[in-house]
Amino acid sequence: MTKIKEKTVSILVNNKPDVLARIAGVFSLRSFNIESISANVTKDPGKSKIILTTKGNQDTLMTIEKQINNLVDIIQVSDLTKIPSIRREMILIRLKVSTANQNSIIQVVEKLHGRVLSKEEGYWIVEVSGDVDEIDAILARFDKLGMDDFTRTGTVALEQIA
Amino acid sequence: MKKETIGADIVVKILLEEGVEAIFGYPGANSLPLNDRLMDSPIKHYLMRHEQAAAHAADGFARATGKVGVCMSTSGPGATNLVTGIATAFMDSTPIVALTAQVNTSLLGQDAFQETDIIGITMPIVKHSFQVKKIENLASSLKQAFHIAQTGRPGPVVVDLPRDVLARSCECPNGDYDAVDMPDKEVDDPEQLEKIARALNKSERPVVILGGGVKLGHATGEIKALVEKAKIPFVTTMMGIGSVSAGNGYDLGFIGTHGYELANRMVHDSDFILAVGTRFSDRSTSVVAEFAPMATIAQIDIDPTSIGKIIHVDLPYIGDIKETVTALLPLVEPKERAQWHEKIKKEKGIVCENNPDNGCGRAGRMISAIQGIMPDDAIAVADVGLNQIWTVRTWRTHSPRNLITSGGMGTMGFSLPAAIGAKVGMPDRGVVVISGDGGFYMNIQELATISYYNIPIKIVVINNAHLGMIRQMQDLFFQSRFTTCELGSGVDLIAVARGFGIEGRRVAVDEDPQEGILEMSRACGPYLLEVVVDPEHYVYPIIPPGRSNVEMIFGKGE
Ligand SMILES: Cc1ncc(C[n+]2csc(CCOP(=O)(O)OP(=O)(O)O)c2C)c(N)n1
Repeated sequence: MTKIKEKTVSILVNNKPDVLARIAGVFSLRSFNIESISANVTKDPGKSKIILTTKGNQDTLMTIEKQINNLVDIIQVSDLTKIPSIRREMILIRLKVSTANQNSIIQVVEKLHGRVLSKEEGYWIVEVSGDVDEIDAILARFDKLGMDDFTRTGTVALEQIA
Repeated sequence: MKKETIGADIVVKILLEEGVEAIFGYPGANSLPLNDRLMDSPIKHYLMRHEQAAAHAADGFARATGKVGVCMSTSGPGATNLVTGIATAFMDSTPIVALTAQVNTSLLGQDAFQETDIIGITMPIVKHSFQVKKIENLASSLKQAFHIAQTGRPGPVVVDLPRDVLARSCECPNGDYDAVDMPDKEVDDPEQLEKIARALNKSERPVVILGGGVKLGHATGEIKALVEKAKIPFVTTMMGIGSVSAGNGYDLGFIGTHGYELANRMVHDSDFILAVGTRFSDRSTSVVAEFAPMATIAQIDIDPTSIGKIIHVDLPYIGDIKETVTALLPLVEPKERAQWHEKIKKEKGIVCENNPDNGCGRAGRMISAIQGIMPDDAIAVADVGLNQIWTVRTWRTHSPRNLITSGGMGTMGFSLPAAIGAKVGMPDRGVVVISGDGGFYMNIQELATISYYNIPIKIVVINNAHLGMIRQMQDLFFQSRFTTCELGSGVDLIAVARGFGIEGRRVAVDEDPQEGILEMSRACGPYLLEVVVDPEHYVYPIIPPGRSNVEMIFGKGE
């Protein structure tokens, strides 16, 4: 019952200015953390999709899902941890580059199907994406290669069958 | 000259469509376009003396009538003054619509004069809210607000109305709007209902717990039929008092911190609980882990978030209470359960309610005497504190809406303005306020409203010169170290009432209060009865913090 789990939900909402605040309110009320969140407008410009990842025990996760579902502007909440779905995350990484590590960086980036986006005065920015479970390992690898800073998108996800 | 149609006219039109007859409010520069257009409508705007009172009055109106109550304020301080009232309605799920004026849309976000983010401030205490930035959305937002406030689990809805939206002339003279399409109610699988019925039929020691949702869902008749057919004893929460009229033989009283000893004991001993329209709040359950330890729990509620939020529920069912109980009725079987009823009868003989004033002492007897002089369907509006517990333990509920009190929020100062709303909504019924001196001071300015509109409410102030309940807690749980609880007897409340133009009289509960009670009953207009009570006159039983529902104490030093 108290086992901490991670959960990614996809929330389809009416595209209203305060809907994100209302969803965030459900979390803050219960002192719950949002691990990551990403929002975008859908094919229908009146609707937005929010991909949200959180951690907690089964009961609290269920309560939160119910409470989000109860908000007026919510159209649908689906638990992507329960249905077949692709869950990915993208990172932009700035690396301090020297002749010593340059080749290793290029190799790793290639292996991960990433890209080098900019090369300025000893600093490169690379883009890599990966499965949610791989992303920490990827970061660890770049950390050893002179990682200076990074930005993560947080989990984005899509159901495999509509 | 014919006036052009402006946003405010659309507001009036929708209010009329929704059957609104009264608004409780307070004006300001930004609300004036609406105040002006309301003037020409049949809707009566009651000018309260404080916006908090306006929200409580709308709430009292809703609780007494079952219809949506409407309050209105200007922007900034007017809107923030509504907040306690909105939260009070939220905690007890009452349907109110709060119209707040706002600064012009062009000024939003600039910290303009009397601008406040009322949508942000009220977000955690509303069912939903709208800020109407475009006149085209005005009608549909208002329609939705009324719909949302009263469907499903009811609750407050704020509609924030920028001044320019109210004042702008409108292309659509009829205020046309798109039909409101709201998603269908969630309803559970009927098989689940059969499971509940089977468990109930099998049980030997069942109890039904009725919450405020029974009244809100207009299901009192259905519930009565259910408990009578199945011969099941029932208890209520404090908000559920009156769900089924008292004295039908199955009523064990209400549960929780200040509840009935009998009710708490029987819930504890039960093997099956059917909870209807209650969220199992901590006031009702005390220590959750020790609540009804032997019972299988079934819960019916329209609000999925209220199910299993606090307590583990074995058999949940999401659905409209009236429809669900109607469907459940043919599935339950009458069953004698002689042993269970025998046990209840035996317990009834030994519990503390088994004395003439049911644990409430002289104050309780005085409240009974007051009910005695009022018509049968009179509404009591209790405040918060000892006075509230005395009232809810004493007042006999002959109909579901004749006891009103702030349960979830416990807002002192609620009773006087809520009674105004109740009387406006139910002019033919007697309305009596029962308040402590502390709570009375909190919205005492409403005596002016009562006097100005000559609203014939009976006001009983039980004056113990203290914040009585605070004093009791300090006496019991803080080694009698009394602090910040004395109000003193230096105020002549009768002179104060007279100053507001309201007649009144002071009596002592120890001497004979009957004469004062009779005088109050003869008064045609509003009347204030001040009842002086000893500050050591407490309320028992009480469950100390951190103890379970069956660990009630009955006096000091237990
Ligand atoms: C607005 C508000 N402030 C504080 C409290 C905490 N409180 C609960 S009961 C109580 C004392 C009430 O005193 P009084 O109105 O004189 O009633 P009595 O208990 O004496 O009947 C207080 C201060 C509250 N419930 N509401």
